[in-house]
Amino acid sequence: MAAGYVDAGHAVRQSSLSGVVGKAPPVVRDVTYDRIRQARSEPQNWLTYYGAYDGQRYSPLDQIDTETVRRLTPAWVFQAGASGVYTGPSTYAFEAAPLVVDGVMYVSGWDGWVWALDGRTGQELWRYKHAIPSDTGLCCGNVNRGVAVANGKVFVVTLNAHVLALDAETGECVWDMTYGDVRAGESGTVAPLVVKDLVIVGSSGGEFGVRGHLDAFEIDTGRHAWRTYTVPKPGEPGSDTWPADGEAWARGGGNCWVTGTFDPELNLMYWGTGNPSPDFDGAVREGDNLFTDSLIAVDPDNGEIRWHYQYNPHDVWDYDSNMEHILFDSDGRKLLAHFDKNGYFFVLDRTNGELVRVTPFVDRITWGEIDANGKVTAKVYPDNEGEPVRFWPGPGGAKEWTHAAYSPRTQLFYVPVQDVGAEITLRHREFKEGIPYWGAGVVVDSKDMGGSVSAFDPSTGEEVWRWSNDVPMCASVLATGGDLVFAGEPTGEFNAFDARTGELLWQFQTGSGHHSSPTTYSIDGRQYIAVPVGWGSWVEGFLPGMFGAPHGDALFVFALPEE
Amino acid sequence: MNDMHAAAELPGLDTPNRATLGRLPVHGGRLGYAEEGPDGRLRARVRIPLDEMVWDPAILVMPHGGDLELELVNDDQNTHCALLPSNGDHQFLWLPNHSRGTASLNLDGPGCYWFSSIIGNDEGQGLIAAIVVMGETPPEARLDRPAQPRP
Repeated sequence: MAAGYVDAGHAVRQSSLSGVVGKAPPVVRDVTYDRIRQARSEPQNWLTYYGAYDGQRYSPLDQIDTETVRRLTPAWVFQAGASGVYTGPSTYAFEAAPLVVDGVMYVSGWDGWVWALDGRTGQELWRYKHAIPSDTGLCCGNVNRGVAVANGKVFVVTLNAHVLALDAETGECVWDMTYGDVRAGESGTVAPLVVKDLVIVGSSGGEFGVRGHLDAFEIDTGRHAWRTYTVPKPGEPGSDTWPADGEAWARGGGNCWVTGTFDPELNLMYWGTGNPSPDFDGAVREGDNLFTDSLIAVDPDNGEIRWHYQYNPHDVWDYDSNMEHILFDSDGRKLLAHFDKNGYFFVLDRTNGELVRVTPFVDRITWGEIDANGKVTAKVYPDNEGEPVRFWPGPGGAKEWTHAAYSPRTQLFYVPVQDVGAEITLRHREFKEGIPYWGAGVVVDSKDMGGSVSAFDPSTGEEVWRWSNDVPMCASVLATGGDLVFAGEPTGEFNAFDARTGELLWQFQTGSGHHSSPTTYSIDGRQYIAVPVGWGSWVEGFLPGMFGAPHGDALFVFALPEE
Repeated sequence: MNDMHAAAELPGLDTPNRATLGRLPVHGGRLGYAEEGPDGRLRARVRIPLDEMVWDPAILVMPHGGDLELELVNDDQNTHCALLPSNGDHQFLWLPNHSRGTASLNLDGPGCYWFSSIIGNDEGQGLIAAIVVMGETPPEARLDRPAQPRP
């Protein structure tokens, strides 16, 4: 040491200067594939992203019901705030779905955060922070949608396209694998899905002209098991839907940035794929552009695409079809439901992808129409350089990535609906790696908009009830055995509705807009409702009229008062 | 460590309380390079000069991702600190007047990572600096496609 200097010592973890405990009980050690497969049989927990592999976002918990909900009150609040300089300070949002295992909550935040919290008190048990390059290419903000748990580990992806396995007791990194190329504009935002001995993740970056892919890693070792691209190379199945000349396929998009669902009996995962690239300039990619804007049924053992259903052939509206595919059975048929950005509610046979029914779920659809047989007819789209076109739904979609729910009790689907249009002006641009590749100027309406939580009967496609809002609804819905539907508003209110009538029964102002996935769990017989709150991400795309709304970062947990 | 001057384009922006109240972060600071040792670990040194409200160098370059052993020296006559990026958790170090400390960091891929002194308004007045990690993503993680044009 130089003479005269005071010894400042060695730097310490920032969390050591906080109340963090540093250790969580070993509750994840025994979380196996079989337990995840039977997740609904342990309703005290929320073991996987959607609560169960079927994606229903339904919990049988019923302590909080249409009568008791009026007494619902905050149990605790967790806040992280910010220190130092971090990525996308204007676009971060708290989007995750908190998982809970035997009283311990695992939740990811923006900018590489993962926390283990005491589900009863909110005490921080451990934290993990990944160092995120501030210049990571992000179309839609500094976000992460959640974690997965199994075999003593917590799995999470990072914005700079790593997939990590953390020790669920300490938060220490067990393995770290890179699965995307940040210099190509790839990133990671998806909540991982554990199936058998694999953890499966999709990539983000469809606005940067990447080539979408799913990757699987062995949960214990991190060994890369398989990669499946969602856009075929020349000569592969589907490649005839891309121009034969040039490299449009190599920049074709189709990213899987929303978690898939899984049917263990059929051994099929159902992943939605994102928009083709460039988003709006279809002239450089003539053809249907498979497998973009599609449902792909994927064999989890090897990544093989067994079959597909394309919702938006040759998309020029930015109508990603990533959004969840909810598995349900009806009249002895194995079905799935999907609410697409394009404004249509699809019911498919999940054994083979056959269309069962397609019906609109939003009032204004002007881009085109889809008939009862699934035939797509485009009507309004960007076609001439520099010529603005206006269509509904805008590129944020009639429903964004935030999820619908299905209650087996009511046999209804509950959907957060966005009714917003946009004006798109085609502006051709040359592709350069790492630079946004949209091919248009985009102005989404900040007036003349609306939204709702709407309930639909899948047997008819008919709307059963609607709770209307003066701005779009942009947060996931939760359905419970108490015949309640929970949904947050962009203006901060967290609402509970009667699942059978749509009557608003309870409301709490959380102080910031909702763009996350609430979950529920119980500890020692007390039911809790957890909802991350923090308005942000691609607000200019789905609700620019709320671009100036408060920018919070809190996790609220509600419960009935203790006796 | 090698370094070179990054010239200030506007007089006073690189000095506290001339053009601005503090100094414009990073711009006008110096560029430095971490050096790789035989053990594969990178090493570098940054300091806070007297009354300049800047990290020196203000841009520290790592030729690739990995482990960085950083020496931090406060030659100022006021107390500062360092909040540093690293996988696992931020690393924090108090830096009293005329002190010296160390930090072990892990940064796993290309990009720009910021660090700063997070007391008072040190960040607003200039004590923000960048660690720039060069290099490419590992080959096995890259896209299977022909080489694409870059800007």
